[in-house]
Amino acid sequence: MSAEPIFMRAVRFFITASGSRRAILFLGILAAVVVSADDLPLKKDSVRFAVIGDMGTGDKAQYEVARQMERSRETAMFDFVTMLGDNIYGGNSAADMKKKFEDPYRALLDAGVRFYASLGNHDDPNERFYKPFNMSERRYYSFRKGNVEFFALDSNYMDPHQMDWLNKALHDSSAAWKICFFHHPLYSDGRFHGPDTDLRARLEPIFQSSGVRVVLSGHDHVYERIKPHGGIYYFVLGNSGELRAHNLRPSSDTVRGFDTDRDFMLMEIAGDQLYFQTISRTGGTVDSGVIERQ
Amino acid sequence: MKRAAVFLIAGTVCAQIFAPGFAQIGHPPVNADAVVIQDFEKRVAAYLQLRKSIESKLLRLKSTPSQEKIAQHGNELRSAVREARKNAGPGDIFTPEIAAEIRRLTATAVQQGDGDHIGQSLRHAEPVQLHLEINDSYPVDRVPLQSTPPSLLENLPALPSEIEYRITGRDLVLLDAKANLIIDVIRGLFS
Repeated sequence: MSAEPIFMRAVRFFITASGSRRAILFLGILAAVVVSADDLPLKKDSVRFAVIGDMGTGDKAQYEVARQMERSRETAMFDFVTMLGDNIYGGNSAADMKKKFEDPYRALLDAGVRFYASLGNHDDPNERFYKPFNMSERRYYSFRKGNVEFFALDSNYMDPHQMDWLNKALHDSSAAWKICFFHHPLYSDGRFHGPDTDLRARLEPIFQSSGVRVVLSGHDHVYERIKPHGGIYYFVLGNSGELRAHNLRPSSDTVRGFDTDRDFMLMEIAGDQLYFQTISRTGGTVDSGVIERQ
Repeated sequence: MKRAAVFLIAGTVCAQIFAPGFAQIGHPPVNADAVVIQDFEKRVAAYLQLRKSIESKLLRLKSTPSQEKIAQHGNELRSAVREARKNAGPGDIFTPEIAAEIRRLTATAVQQGDGDHIGQSLRHAEPVQLHLEINDSYPVDRVPLQSTPPSLLENLPALPSEIEYRITGRDLVLLDAKANLIIDVIRGLFS
């Protein structure tokens, strides 16, 4: 017998026996226990951030994911957010930026959370001048937080200039953790797009030789955690606004997939451990785990 | 005998690599491909100089929270470059010689081991069907950008930052990414 029917029977019994108000309280406590069981460790001086991808629709679902991020921040207190591209779909007028970025993330922006964008195929490359995206006027750039260095790439146009910059920046970096984020996934079991194998053939050798441990991408509107390749953990998170329901065709590469709702990720890096937690629009934990530094 | 065979193979390979690139016998040994590419680079540099000179007369675009300012700068820059290049025509930058060279380099990239990756990359991106003319802007608010496979970019003549090769349907366009302006087109490069 599965746990769910027992749980539902217990809830029904509790509602009958104790009235609806007590039942709601009981369910609230139970939900808090369930959620907190998967929470990040929230260690002192750790680097904490959220990850969103393919979010800039301006639709209700994007706002709901943003609300969930606010709730998570109450406990996780993350300082910044990495954006995996398709930051703004369609028009990019001032009104669009407000509706598709400033309004949904208003509470986070007001709290001083910084957003770091990478460019997707739906983005105007001149988004690099939009200050709240913190791109320092560049299509590709890096920034450091504690013992972690982040490399935001423009996977729309991986020309020799960018390849040379990336190769040098990654090999010169003394950070304990190196995380790359960009739009087009090197591995993906999303049916609509799938992996960009040409990009993979060019980038993966550089990632492996320079000690990159985690790669974050979007583009396919699903969530997927891929089996590590060459010691690198690949995540696809392209459903923080858009969703392509039931579009994931899991393969032997898939460790965890989610394609029925939107989500975002929390990450926490404390010393030699990177903790991650993927949280759905409705607040459930979709995936979680720990990655050890190599 | 074995050594002779090695020389023969090496000679054939060298002939295939270098023969099309050198001028006819009797002329100085100038690599014709290099001359064509040099000419292309000069034309691109001349365009970039024009655009930069126009841009220097505008208020410098700096990182700003105002999307209006970014859009306004883009509109002003585009209008001024369009005006300065109102007589620009196909082949001004992609001359017939460089267009032929780019066709050859693209075919080489596709035929090499990277060909499968390039094809897959093109299919798995978001292929777009667009017909753009010189001085058009790329309608990024309506049509997603097709990513250009890195293996292809590695094979094509190098461009300065902010000038890009972009694939639009079957065509290859030269895009000024900062001004968001098409500056030349090669039609029917991709089948």
